[in-house]
Amino acid sequence: MKAISKTALPDLFAALKGRVYVPVREGKGFGFAPWDGEIWPADYQNTIVPPKQILFPQTEDLYSFRMEGEDIAIDPASGPEEPIFIFGLRPCDHKGIELLDLVFRQGPYLDAPYSKRRDNTFLMVLGCKEGLPTCFCTSFGLEPAFAPGADWNMWDLGEVLLIEPGTAKGKELLDGLELFREATEEEVSQAKKLRDEARETITLQAPVEGITEGLQENFEHPLWEEVARKCLECGACTYLCPTCHCYDLQSTSVLGQGKRFRCWDSCMYCNYTLMAGGHNPRPTKRERVRNRFLHKLQYFPENHGEFGCVGCGRCLQNCPVHMDITRFMAQAKDVMAK
Amino acid sequence: MTNELIPQVAKVVAVRRETSDVKTFTFRGEGGLPFAYMPGQCAMVSLPSVGEAMFSITSSPTQEDMEFSIKRVGLVTEALHKLTLGQAVGVRGPYGNGFPLEMLQGKDLLFIGGGIGLAPLRSLINYCLDNRADYGGVDIIYGARSPQDLVFTDELFERWPKVEGVQVQTTVDVGDETWQGPVGVVTKLLEELNPDPQGRIAITCGPPIMIKFVLRTLAKLGYQDDQIITTLEKRMKCGVGKCGRCNIGGKYICVDGPVFTVAQLRDLPDEL
Repeated sequence: MKAISKTALPDLFAALKGRVYVPVREGKGFGFAPWDGEIWPADYQNTIVPPKQILFPQTEDLYSFRMEGEDIAIDPASGPEEPIFIFGLRPCDHKGIELLDLVFRQGPYLDAPYSKRRDNTFLMVLGCKEGLPTCFCTSFGLEPAFAPGADWNMWDLGEVLLIEPGTAKGKELLDGLELFREATEEEVSQAKKLRDEARETITLQAPVEGITEGLQENFEHPLWEEVARKCLECGACTYLCPTCHCYDLQSTSVLGQGKRFRCWDSCMYCNYTLMAGGHNPRPTKRERVRNRFLHKLQYFPENHGEFGCVGCGRCLQNCPVHMDITRFMAQAKDVMAK
Repeated sequence: MTNELIPQVAKVVAVRRETSDVKTFTFRGEGGLPFAYMPGQCAMVSLPSVGEAMFSITSSPTQEDMEFSIKRVGLVTEALHKLTLGQAVGVRGPYGNGFPLEMLQGKDLLFIGGGIGLAPLRSLINYCLDNRADYGGVDIIYGARSPQDLVFTDELFERWPKVEGVQVQTTVDVGDETWQGPVGVVTKLLEELNPDPQGRIAITCGPPIMIKFVLRTLAKLGYQDDQIITTLEKRMKCGVGKCGRCNIGGKYICVDGPVFTVAQLRDLPDEL
């Protein structure tokens, strides 16, 4: 394990060859932004928007086009080239990226822009000291202060950060920079203590066991109507979710010249599944809310063997009408027990 | 790594009017066929300044060219219907699983189509007729609202009935003074024909209401769920199982479908 003084962090950021994203103050909260020479904020618990937008931007050009008489000229957007360093993401968001990897980097088709960025990304995870009241990562088997498989795991000991590499490229990066000293034994045990204590601060729990199997049996149930009733279909939950990956493809054009881009979409929107001709397989918010919960808790596990939720708590923290996936899971559990 | 979401450019080399709101387009890429495909697979067709939509490929891979039969129902199809010879479109694919050819080999085949739903079936019908020795008897039942709404009339009335072992029956919901064939829904013809389920696979595509009644009739005639194949459609954007919207349960119609047996559909939630 290595250690670095926090005052030396600007040296670290400057030494990283690529674009370095750090958590910065953004309005009343925090968000990830390219490091611009300022010191990073130490007092954030988590960012409002997850770092998924660095790898899967909210809008992204795919190609530009030009109508030339009868012909169409298509010019693919140039892909990202620079290495990306995401410094200080939390273990839940690290897991969120691993789940996006399952969608975008596996299966018969790879998502080229995402994969290209991701292949060249370093994830430097900072362990949480204390969870928020809305955090429930431990329900999904996550640890608030350790992310298995992260390039780096880091712990904040006040004056210094402790760093442990978790991948070969993470170790190579750490060994290649002369900014670190070996951590002392005392520091290592402090980090271990922090890790153990952080776990105890996660008090919100969601009943995960058997939920997938239970939901498989309850696609038609009056509970869906009840759960969906207060939803405003604003889509905030999906935009702030570290694992939501739905997108739309759209074009802008003027006089036969324009570009095609993709942007985040939300299964909470009424026209998301609306077909030409008027048929809508998910016509009311009952079906749409059901789809969102089932995607996280049933479909994702069926397809990838993992839950599509990491317990970051953003959806419940930011819902204007206090929809709460943990409460839904508890209700579902009750219903399924009957 | 190529970006699957970027289309290649193809040209319209033929346009055939099928009905007042259906046209069949032939597209050719720079090197001929835009890409190889199998019957039942789909492709994204786009006019970049308007939009992009998923269509089943109606030609058979045994043919030289790639054809799409497109019904005018929305923004993209409205613009596509204005295409003229020589104009360029974007096309990408193929997408989806296609028909389970191995399962069909050596079997008698029963095709039941309604309206524009004959488009994906036509790909498989022509594929089977071009590989005639691999399949048993072929029965085709097709229905449309009126004689004016029949698509692929050349094949229905001329080409297919001439092939040995092929029977074609066409019906319309409402006839007119020119129509001398049967009048009524396809299920009526199906019951009259009563094809023996033994060694036969039924493949159906059409409007949801037709499919519903066809499945009911097939069950009545003794067909098992794993003997019946249908194809589904949903709104799609990516075609590669990532943009999210075409799922039924955990299955994405663009990748896991569009072709399913009824037995497979029984395992999925009812969200058609």
